[in-house]
Amino acid sequence: MSFFYLLLGTAFGFVLSRSGAADYNYIQGMFLFEEFQLYGIIGSAVALTAPGIWLIRRHGRTLEGRPVEVETKPLNRGNVAGGLLFGVGWSMAGMCPGPIFVNIGEGKISALAALAGALIGAGAFGTLYTRLQRAFRLPPIAVGTGQG
Amino acid sequence: MPLILHGLQPLHWAAAGAALAALTLGLLFVGNRRLGISTGFEDVCSLVLRQTYFRRDSLLASRRWRMPFVVGLVLGGFLSAAAGGGWAPTWALGMFDQAVGFGPTGKLAWMFAGGLFIGFGTRLAGGCTSGHGIFGMSNLELPSLVTTVSFMAGGIVTTQLVYRVIVN
Repeated sequence: MSFFYLLLGTAFGFVLSRSGAADYNYIQGMFLFEEFQLYGIIGSAVALTAPGIWLIRRHGRTLEGRPVEVETKPLNRGNVAGGLLFGVGWSMAGMCPGPIFVNIGEGKISALAALAGALIGAGAFGTLYTRLQRAFRLPPIAVGTGQG
Repeated sequence: MPLILHGLQPLHWAAAGAALAALTLGLLFVGNRRLGISTGFEDVCSLVLRQTYFRRDSLLASRRWRMPFVVGLVLGGFLSAAAGGGWAPTWALGMFDQAVGFGPTGKLAWMFAGGLFIGFGTRLAGGCTSGHGIFGMSNLELPSLVTTVSFMAGGIVTTQLVYRVIVN
């Protein structure tokens, strides 16, 4: 099964690379309201994924016949605070998490620094989890903030 | 506008969106997994850190699919560059080079700082553009709408500040 996920990731990365989603100029163009490209990509992806998820959940079974399980994410103060912080980082680096990996593959050297920062940022978050828990009303540590 | 990568013409947005939707749905229908990439940072952290947070079952279980997926993202970027004009390491950052003009050290520092915000922010929010923006919004989840609005706001304010105020 690992090979299937590797293949899926490769295709996903190729599309991110060739669409502008992993391109510094297109990310700034989106935030400057000068380029429609990224709004079009995210908008059309959501418009097509939404009915797809609805159909799969209605069907209720995966391809192999197992029950479809979609664990939902918790709502808490971290959504707004973390979202704002992530937005600052997305603008600064010109990449969100997927494109950090894609840009490393493309050979963009500075993306390695973004990955180093992201790993340390995520490591710091996990390390400080119990201290951030009350302020942001985060779920128990076994649950975490959700996979995404 | 051509891509920074070899000056290639980008895919049409609708084609790119449709492809990302198909891959997201394939991941759910075949793998029974919800798309989400930022947890990949925690996966990597869990290889070296031993804190309780990085030992939780849900994280260790998801590592089995997310790690190969993330390696695939790197491979996809590599193949895109190789097929589109050849793979070569580059410092090119498009308009950042023209407007800000940092050298290699400055770029590494700037990107590292951006990465800190990305790593800490996405994990505090419980997801990123993929997990909240694409999957969560498509699944009509309120936390995902709240998070997406928040990170778009953070990005818009920062870019407007950098490119319309500071370097203008």
